[in-house]
Amino acid sequence: MSAEASAAINKVDALAAKGGSERDVREGAMEGVLVACGELGFRETSVRSILEHSGGHRAQFYQHFESKEECFAQAYAAWIERLCLSLLEAAATTPGWEAGVREAIVRLFQFVSERPAIARALFVEVQIAGEPALSRHEAAVERLAAAIDSARNDIDPSEAPPEATGVFVVGGIESCVAEALSAGDPGRIWHALPELMHFTAGSYFGKEAAEGAFERASELLERERIRLSGTERVEK
Amino acid sequence: MTELRLVGGTAVAEPAPAEDVPTLRLSPGRHGIPADLVRAHQRLRLLEAAAAALAEQGYGRLTATRVTELAGVSSRTFYQHFEDLWACVLAAYESEASQLCEEIESACAMLVEERGPVAQADRRGRARAGIAAGLRFLASQLDAARLLSAEPPPQIAALAAARRDLIERLGGMLRGVLAGPDGATPLPGLERRLIGAALALVSSRAAGGDPHRLRKLEPELSELLLASL
Repeated sequence: MSAEASAAINKVDALAAKGGSERDVREGAMEGVLVACGELGFRETSVRSILEHSGGHRAQFYQHFESKEECFAQAYAAWIERLCLSLLEAAATTPGWEAGVREAIVRLFQFVSERPAIARALFVEVQIAGEPALSRHEAAVERLAAAIDSARNDIDPSEAPPEATGVFVVGGIESCVAEALSAGDPGRIWHALPELMHFTAGSYFGKEAAEGAFERASELLERERIRLSGTERVEK
Repeated sequence: MTELRLVGGTAVAEPAPAEDVPTLRLSPGRHGIPADLVRAHQRLRLLEAAAAALAEQGYGRLTATRVTELAGVSSRTFYQHFEDLWACVLAAYESEASQLCEEIESACAMLVEERGPVAQADRRGRARAGIAAGLRFLASQLDAARLLSAEPPPQIAALAAARRDLIERLGGMLRGVLAGPDGATPLPGLERRLIGAALALVSSRAAGGDPHRLRKLEPELSELLLASL
């Protein structure tokens, strides 16, 4: 069992020791379904495997959720909301469009590195889970796309990029994350930062902006590598 | 998808119609059609049914039972053709991916044939012709569009590899267009990001089931894919 799964169980045990409420049971199952799906895959995850991660009994599970699908969709909605808020906050508190987008991608990569099983559920297994989780996924993509579009329009509203740019860029970032998670090597995602900045800036502002964003992201990565050399965050 | 149709008691290959039309089921019993043609026809129906079942149920709930229901064949027939559900989905994926790439390649080649060296030098023009042809194909085969654009379960290694192959092949075509006269691309690997983003956009547009939303995407998708030129 992974460290992430053990942490989820410890959290539920702690809640139980405190006389955890029904709300705690629900929260535990919502984390459990994501960790289980991230580790086993959505198709292989059963209510039993969710309970192995979250604790509790089948009866308690079915008091809160009709099915595995419904539990996954609710858990997805709650976690993606938190993640979206965190990414938007990172971008909003960093001056400049390019630096703001880069900071949001850095925060996304931190999440992927720290919670790989949950990230795998949010970025890979959601595609397998189907409705109703997919509708919530679409809504999250639209929300992030609108935020990047809006920040770009603040710079130069006269030369608007194609309407689909936001969804295209969010989709590209998401597919990059999904690729790293599917390969089972989330730590390697950091190497994609310059490439993703090239892709994002290029989609909105063209070739020159793309090359500048690539250079600055490469420099940042190199500084981080030197600062953290020997640690797990940026591998050589 | 190319279909087998019965003309005067003989099965002949016919190009795909403009919109999704399910392949007809052969009537049971004696019909004088060679066994290998019947098998080929069953296989085509199963491949179409796999894409349709996936569009209906998603990877999470997809079953071989639903594929056989939609294909109108027995479970026994299904397993005569495929070892399991994933072998069938993989065959459908590879067949549709191959048709998509052929549509794109032949549209680019046709442009060069019609307009000669001018078209060869016109990288944007060739790319736009290929992108338009790809979108036309996907809009006429919405189930195929969903099959090719949706992320498959990574646990099904062969299917995940088929998706990587498609991204690689489409990326290779894009790399050919993005490359300057000296053959250098703007950034090695960028085409993979661009194709991943394009597939995500196609998936989002195909999800609503409206083929016009896919067809209308050409100018925007071309601009986005060629932004680095």
